[in-house]
Amino acid sequence: MHVRWLIPAGAGLAALAPAAYATQYLSVEQAGRAAFPQATEFRAHAAPDAATAARLGAPPDWAPRVLEARGAGGRLGWLIVDQVLGKSELIRYALALDAAGAVRSLEVLDYRESHGGEVRLAPWRAQFVGKTARDPVVLNQDIRNISGATLSCRHLTDGVRRLLQLYNATLREAPEAP
Amino acid sequence: MSAVVRRARPALGTLIEFRVAGLAAAAAQAAIDAAHAEVLAVHRAMSFHAPDSDLSRLHRAAPGTPVAVDPRTHEVLTAARRLAAASDGCFDPTVATRLVARGFLPAPRSSRPPDPEADWRDLELLDDGCVRLRRPLWLDLGGIAKGYAVDRAVALLRAHGAQQGSVNAGGDLRVFGPRAELVHLRLDGPAPGFVPVLELGDGAVAGSAGLASRRRRRGRWCGPHLDGRRRRGVRTDVSVSVVAASCLLADALTKIVLAADRRTARRLLAEHGAQAIWHDPHRGWRRFEA
Repeated sequence: MHVRWLIPAGAGLAALAPAAYATQYLSVEQAGRAAFPQATEFRAHAAPDAATAARLGAPPDWAPRVLEARGAGGRLGWLIVDQVLGKSELIRYALALDAAGAVRSLEVLDYRESHGGEVRLAPWRAQFVGKTARDPVVLNQDIRNISGATLSCRHLTDGVRRLLQLYNATLREAPEAP
Repeated sequence: MSAVVRRARPALGTLIEFRVAGLAAAAAQAAIDAAHAEVLAVHRAMSFHAPDSDLSRLHRAAPGTPVAVDPRTHEVLTAARRLAAASDGCFDPTVATRLVARGFLPAPRSSRPPDPEADWRDLELLDDGCVRLRRPLWLDLGGIAKGYAVDRAVALLRAHGAQQGSVNAGGDLRVFGPRAELVHLRLDGPAPGFVPVLELGDGAVAGSAGLASRRRRRGRWCGPHLDGRRRRGVRTDVSVSVVAASCLLADALTKIVLAADRRTARRLLAEHGAQAIWHDPHRGWRRFEA
């Protein structure tokens, strides 16, 4: 185990400069491949209309992207890309449903803090950066504690619930394309 | 061709971030799928709520009856009991009764009412992989199982050939591989944000912040962390982060640093080769030297 603390004793948190923060995980295409490895095609399906959105109690800017996963034998299921706004973050995710509407997987595509996610660059951070040049350790990755306190899975759960209602309302009966 | 593959999937009531380097893309995806499945398996076995979890089966069993559990549950309970003994009960997996009373856990359904006098000494780990409770009690592995799930996920990633990577379960993080990485921790409170706190290679860090989860109860702040010995809440305005060789240890030691007296906390940190930092609103960051 290698440990080096970057916090000197007694450090306050005054004079900290913010920086933006966002993380990209998978593209829509990668999420589709992960959920449906045997798919040969992801065919765009009509987005829900305003009446459906209103019936499902969706927020005004709700615009999920619906893709039909297709393989050699026809429909494999659905990949629906949607986003939810948490307390301080925007999460874009892909929900994969099998042909019977059961959840196959849920994957976060990207994640963006709208506020409260700033990286605090204290003066001691600058000292630390100076030291790395002489240090054998290569710092090329940042790991952030993304979920911690504010990223609420509850918002994600609400989003998924709405997509399952969307499936029941429109996709379940959708005729299979030839 | 290998690149860094990152995925975030829900489990354990949070989002778990998996990061893998040194594998071809398809192999990295398969490794992450296996690691995610392992986390879900740990969750199923050690859930406090799920009626078919090992814990729920133990809660339903007549006191004194051996109950066969998943080997992973046996491993975590063994570690929990050892830490409870070493911390003189500051860390106690049987404080669930108090957490239910405080509204941080729902009361398990179809379970025996717990004996208010029961504690970690009533938990027996048998050699044949069974577990026995001497008195009716409620076990909660919330302070240790998440760290263990991260350790298991890392083991699976490595078994699939990953050379470098990390698993981050919101507050519980483990890094593996030849390169050290820069870890930011979230700071809660009036000025939330991320602070780069340490450089970590082949190790784990866990954080417990009472601020985010505390609630007002009868005019006082009340958090999800308890001192098992005195059966009362610990300060809710401090954040503690512990670095240790495994995430299970880091997770559990975090609770011990919060709850125990300084001498006990220092002794346990030293015994496990662990280190801690402490943040409180008055004095800022402090190293908790072993």
